[in-house]
Amino acid sequence: MAKYIKWIFLFTMLIFYMLPVYYSIASSFKGLKEIYSYPPTIFPEKPTIQGYKEALQKQDMSTYLKNTLFVACVATVITVLINVMGGYGLAKGTFIGKIALNRLVVMTLFVTAQVIMVPLFVIIRRLGLINNLWGLILPAVYTPTGMFTAIQYMKDIPDEFLESAKIDGASEWAIFWKIVFPLSKPLIAALAIFSFTWRWNDFILPLIVVNRRKLYTLQLALAVIQGEYGGVPWNTILAFSTVSIIPTLIIFLVFQKFFMRGITAGGLKY
Amino acid sequence: MNKVVSSRFIFTIPALIFLSIFVLLPIFSVFVMSFSNWDLLSPPRFVGWSNFARLFEDKWFWNSVWVSIKLLILTVPMTFFISLALAVCLYKETTSSKILRALFYWPYMMPAVAGTTMWKWLLSYDLGLLNHVLKSVGFNPVPWLLKPTAALIAIALLRTWGMTGLLMMMFITGLQSIPEELHEAAKVDGANRWQMFWYVTFPLLKNTNLLVLTTDIAHVFRDFAGIYVLTGGGPGYSTMVTPLYIYNTAFTQWRIGYAYAMSIVFLLISFAIAMVTLRVRER
Repeated sequence: MAKYIKWIFLFTMLIFYMLPVYYSIASSFKGLKEIYSYPPTIFPEKPTIQGYKEALQKQDMSTYLKNTLFVACVATVITVLINVMGGYGLAKGTFIGKIALNRLVVMTLFVTAQVIMVPLFVIIRRLGLINNLWGLILPAVYTPTGMFTAIQYMKDIPDEFLESAKIDGASEWAIFWKIVFPLSKPLIAALAIFSFTWRWNDFILPLIVVNRRKLYTLQLALAVIQGEYGGVPWNTILAFSTVSIIPTLIIFLVFQKFFMRGITAGGLKY
Repeated sequence: MNKVVSSRFIFTIPALIFLSIFVLLPIFSVFVMSFSNWDLLSPPRFVGWSNFARLFEDKWFWNSVWVSIKLLILTVPMTFFISLALAVCLYKETTSSKILRALFYWPYMMPAVAGTTMWKWLLSYDLGLLNHVLKSVGFNPVPWLLKPTAALIAIALLRTWGMTGLLMMMFITGLQSIPEELHEAAKVDGANRWQMFWYVTFPLLKNTNLLVLTTDIAHVFRDFAGIYVLTGGGPGYSTMVTPLYIYNTAFTQWRIGYAYAMSIVFLLISFAIAMVTLRVRER
């Protein structure tokens, strides 16, 4: 019984969530005439890859792809490291000002990029990171959502694990690398997936940091190209967004392997 | 003891360095500049509290705060329960759940501008797929983006659609941190699925619930790109949320100092709401 309810629920949700996704992928295979026709067609009547050809050939896509990959990968590695470490410190440490720091992290969740855009630009320029891909990486590696996720996850790791290691004479570094880090696999996976998504889709930071075409990221290139040519045709935009999701999807599928049921199983017995 | 204390603090230092340079320093500068009149071109002029005084009489500012709160009420419970239900269905490591997770995460993966433009098209009055479906089953088409209430609901739907993937992954991460033994113990005691969820799993998700709620509230309050593309704040001021109003003040009217003062006040309102959530959950 419960099983049927579960699948009915999943299928209903799937229809709602995937409808726009399906429709945008299907429309990316439509010709220009069909895409503006009414009533809208559910299946492409004359499937064509014209939109994909335009999206991939017209511009220097491989350079943009390389830039975005570099930024997303490097930023993800740093983000995972500093957030897992910071989350551990803020969840399991005892030091003066810990509560205040935890609150501070919550507060940073509410800071809109638009609000700090002007001062952030000034700081990035002072650091000499304008027109430098590191200018897209370093300002973005502290992510409030990632940090908060790490803290909340670390709180769930039983203190007994850490204490028994301490009794066995392990140093703080050993406890972190040999116990906390392996226990954090689902967290690391989630942070990697999130961070890659964020950097891959980021638009504001590239917009203020980069103005040399050679350093454009995919999102920035799409926006700028749209402006330059007075609007790229719809099927090209949809093709572009379909293609640009593939790397994120790959990262998702790769890191999903780190999820595992019962990661702390057995640990509570001693 | 003291040694443990100091060495665990060390783990937070790398994060704190980035936090200070790229978040706190800019906020500090926003705070300082909120006491000035500044148009980015001429040098800022110190004006004391006058930006803040003006703000309290700005009815469109308070209207925008109210719009943000309405969105919160429309979206947060919906996203919370949908993503929790999805996570409970999908947290076990089976092939089907792995595929379904990727599908439900997909909307969140879509770049905000592309995803929203898609929705705008689906919702359009005469060309949209949604009204086409409504008409074909005999309903009147709805001018989704032209009526204040419908536009607000459309944005709430868009937020729910776009956020579920992120929140579901947070719940899955949380569910996976719960030791399996606790479930087995409950099963031995004869608990059914429902009881197991309400009495064992849900209370153990305390930290995750807090994470999801706070993240979702923050995202609704911060949302900019989605609303900017979908309605631009309209019709009238009906979907003009505060970040959008601040953005317009700063970058179309070039009243940077005033926009900063609004940001500071809005930040304080957001914290107040976040603190209420934290207090309730920490009890």
